[in-house]
Amino acid sequence: MSGLQSIRVHPVPVGLGEIRSGRDGETLVCYGLGSCVGVGLVDPVARVGAMAHVVLPDSSLSRGVPAEGKFADTAVPALVAQLLRMGAQRARLIAKIAGGARVIHLPGEGHLDIGARNVEAVKEALRRAGIPLAAEDTGGSYGRTVLFHTGTGQMVVSTVGRGERIL
Amino acid sequence: MELGEHQWQALRRIIEAGLKGSAEGLSALTGGAIHLGSPRVALMPLEVVPGIAGGPGAVVVAVYVGIRGDLQGHAMLLLPAEAALRFVEILAQQPPGTLRELDPVARSALAEAGNICAAHFLTALGDATGLEVMLTAPVVVEDMAGAILQTVVADLYLGGDWALVVETDFRSGRGAPGSGVRGHLLLMPDQESMARLVAALEAIP
Repeated sequence: MSGLQSIRVHPVPVGLGEIRSGRDGETLVCYGLGSCVGVGLVDPVARVGAMAHVVLPDSSLSRGVPAEGKFADTAVPALVAQLLRMGAQRARLIAKIAGGARVIHLPGEGHLDIGARNVEAVKEALRRAGIPLAAEDTGGSYGRTVLFHTGTGQMVVSTVGRGERIL
Repeated sequence: MELGEHQWQALRRIIEAGLKGSAEGLSALTGGAIHLGSPRVALMPLEVVPGIAGGPGAVVVAVYVGIRGDLQGHAMLLLPAEAALRFVEILAQQPPGTLRELDPVARSALAEAGNICAAHFLTALGDATGLEVMLTAPVVVEDMAGAILQTVVADLYLGGDWALVVETDFRSGRGAPGSGVRGHLLLMPDQESMARLVAALEAIP
């Protein structure tokens, strides 16, 4: 069995507000992303990567529950710190993101479009950290399951009835 | 969050009234008897809500309504994709396996059924507590459970922690026990509304 097949069989789930990391040969997965955003960072030379399951744009919205991965502005620095500890070099880090959809659309209910706010906040946090955004599959009105290969940074986005995209 | 025994009793009575009202409403909608039975009631932290009904990646159909008035928040009827088809067959009094996909007519039937259940639950709640609540028009969505629930959970992270989840059977009066479909009814008020609701439950004699 090749390495790729074995990773496809046993991806590590990244739950709401969590951050997970891995080395070459490990795959992480965010199941059923809606308004949430899967933020994957990789150093393709050191072959280490990590993904956060971002729920909300800004940690100032926090009501005392400390979870770095939950907010865009805290998740990105936490991902960077984690990867540097694992031997990544900051200058080699690239990011890929997916999610940020608006699955439930109610007329006149702008505040429910947390997806778009999440995507914007993640991009801002990446800019601030100086990490290039290599690829994204964001927005729309449908859910996504996102696999992230920690060695190469390959991101596989699958949907219900809209096929699969490889970033 | 912990509810006292008195509050649980009040809540159980409201849920029983809600189930009974929903069954009557659905029976009136379809012209045949629809039973709602074997309920399981739980208060869940929001974090685990996207994991109910087969996990966040499972394909589900949701009927969503917003709650307005004395309580603010979200209510939802959630069914696994296959169960949603069977549920529409039960509503339409058709044999199992007749419906292959969620066409516009089926969606409209689900919207109406979800609306009926939400309305009866919130009416039961209002009757018992004196709180006045209204519902927005129902929206039907078919997608991954996580994707549907995250939108609501993220909104509530801004001001709420708990969801009331009622799991129940929907069964045709002509069907044998066990022939029904199992669905989840979710009530997710924001934090202030949940506090108001808990206080109102406490005040019920």
